[in-house]
Amino acid sequence: MTHRIMSCSEALAEALLEEMERDDSVFIIGEDIRAHDGIFGQFRGLPKRFPARVIDTPISETCIVGAGLGAALTGMRPLVDMHFADFFTTAMDEIVNQTAKIRYMFGGQAKVPMVIWAPDGGGLRAGAHHSQSLESWFVHTPGLKVVVPSEPADVKGLMKSAIRDDDPVIFFQHKKLFAQTGHVPQEEYLIPIGKGEIKREGAHITLITYSRMTYLCLEAADLLAQEDIEAEVIDLRTLKPLDFDIISRSVKKTYNALVVHEACLTGGFGAEIAARIGEELFDYLDAPVARIGAKDVPVPFSPVMEDFVLPQVADIVESVRKILNRQ
Amino acid sequence: MIEITIPKLGLTMENAKVVEWKFISGDAVKKGDTVLIIETEKVSFEVPSPADGIIHPIVSEGSICAVEEIVGYVAQDREEYERLVTKYPTVDSSMDRDEGALRPPETPPSLLAGNDAPGDRSKLRIKASPLARAMAASHNLNLAAIEGSGPGGRIVRADILRAIEQQHAAFQRELPAPPGPLDLYDRQSIEKEIMESVPFRGIRKAISDNMYQSLSQSAQLTLHTEAGAGALIDLRERLSTSERKVSFNAILVKIAAMALRQHPRLNATLQGDAILVWKQIHIGIAMEAKDALIVPVTRNPDLKSIREIDEEITELVAKTRENRLSPDDMSNGTFTISNLGFADIDHFTPIIRPPESAILGVGRITRKPVVQGDQVVPEPRIGLSLTFDHRIIDGAPAARFLKTIREMIEEPVLMVC
Repeated sequence: MTHRIMSCSEALAEALLEEMERDDSVFIIGEDIRAHDGIFGQFRGLPKRFPARVIDTPISETCIVGAGLGAALTGMRPLVDMHFADFFTTAMDEIVNQTAKIRYMFGGQAKVPMVIWAPDGGGLRAGAHHSQSLESWFVHTPGLKVVVPSEPADVKGLMKSAIRDDDPVIFFQHKKLFAQTGHVPQEEYLIPIGKGEIKREGAHITLITYSRMTYLCLEAADLLAQEDIEAEVIDLRTLKPLDFDIISRSVKKTYNALVVHEACLTGGFGAEIAARIGEELFDYLDAPVARIGAKDVPVPFSPVMEDFVLPQVADIVESVRKILNRQ
Repeated sequence: MIEITIPKLGLTMENAKVVEWKFISGDAVKKGDTVLIIETEKVSFEVPSPADGIIHPIVSEGSICAVEEIVGYVAQDREEYERLVTKYPTVDSSMDRDEGALRPPETPPSLLAGNDAPGDRSKLRIKASPLARAMAASHNLNLAAIEGSGPGGRIVRADILRAIEQQHAAFQRELPAPPGPLDLYDRQSIEKEIMESVPFRGIRKAISDNMYQSLSQSAQLTLHTEAGAGALIDLRERLSTSERKVSFNAILVKIAAMALRQHPRLNATLQGDAILVWKQIHIGIAMEAKDALIVPVTRNPDLKSIREIDEEITELVAKTRENRLSPDDMSNGTFTISNLGFADIDHFTPIIRPPESAILGVGRITRKPVVQGDQVVPEPRIGLSLTFDHRIIDGAPAARFLKTIREMIEEPVLMVC
């Protein structure tokens, strides 16, 4: 398989281009997406290529998600651009009470093949309203699939799967990763929703992570390797449905686990993973499962304070040392 | 709580010896786990746990207990266990188990699970990771003897691996050198060194006691003869079908039984001031079980067909092999047959199994030159040896009994006369 180096933005644009060419019912709806090809350049070339299928809307997330839902119910495959994940709040009723539940409340006679695409995460000095990681809200809402890719190849493969999926998918993409480059296969491919990937193999501890923290964990693993600690890094890629098998196989090998996410710690998805490991892999644990997440405060605007609040590579290294008792 | 009792393994069983507890007080057991080894004079038996729970033995190893006697309990939870411990003090677990021969003296004895005073276990909360606990359990290690290197002294995987390694190294030191080419031994050595120490107890000890009692307390004499085996071979062929081959032993049991009917005094026991001649004929067949001589008994072969006897023997062989003979399978023998033909033995001097008074040793069937008229002809022959107790059976009647057997082998039709 030949590869190209691409950014996450380019990978997303390519996924959408391929899917829109393949299927006429795929369209994009959101704010300010025609004029700038999306604010992160994520829809580059698409408005020109498909003038009628990239639709600008008024500034109302309620309206955008509602329109997408209606279109999906009547046979289209919309991609709804949330602009920022932080704006989910104004569309929560459409997502949680309608989108997520319709298939069930209609006894399976209706389906909502909609992707809600949401750039999330902090580190851009963008303040409390533009820096949140809200995946736990949707993981906690039955009826939704939640995808959180990190590298460009995963973004492309998962977006193509999400568009083809007959159920609503919340597709998070970290804002700081839009420019992140990586190898993307030349040929067409799909990455199934619900499958994690080991991004680095190791024998001593399993770092379970997703989205931008994958890169921080890989950096931490490099540092730990200098101390003869081999960390295995699992990028979950999808939170719901969760690939617990990959976690299970790894923890049965390393006997130690640390969950790392950027979302704040309390009530975060790390708690769910830690609990399941405790329940299902108790006899394989050589130390308590630890979690790293943001501190429980709104993400500060001050760069110094933001760095203090969000997890850093040093935090991961320190936590691993503590788990393995290598102080 | 559920009681662990001495099972009644057969009609004749009255008591059993508690040989070995497989768990110590406080251990978690599952229903069906072997928790206890008991031994009667004739068999050893693995007692399964009657339930899931926490075990608490109340009778120490080596005790003789009556059938149905309570020897321990299985508590359903910790609380119940604590009550049991208060009520019945923990018995000494001698741990003088026979693996002791392999267990190196260098190993701190407490490294192995079960050497700690079990009563202390509940008081002492040992910090260990779940993995370390699971590993310690599967390697039979005692956590109390392991020093934890984890946070706050927690025992972690590395500590267990170290303990296993220590134990392994100690075992390595202790294990005898593998028997290699002779030149690995010092040819000049005048030492004698122990290569293996085999425990002398249980069934081994019982055999010893029986054999010694037999030879030291009766007057044994062995007669040897030989019979032409042509008719025997022929009879076996005729009785066998393509599905089922009848064994020589089945025919020999039948022959011995019919001969005993004609010579009842050999089916007897000397008891006090009386010779008790038995009404029933029960013929034991010496078999080799795992490391021990076992003699299961065929019942009333004089009243059964050879095929029936053969089926009975087949079942007894299977039970012996699977170690599930009950004392009833071995009790009340009145005569024994021991067949060493498989090992190319012609004649030997079998030892009577008290309180029986005679035993027939059967040798191999082999073709030998026989003089017939003026001709020497080859004929299959079978070796026969009869040991009897001369205190109650004289030489002549014993010889006549053996002659009857020889005649029946050579002319099986005599069995129905």
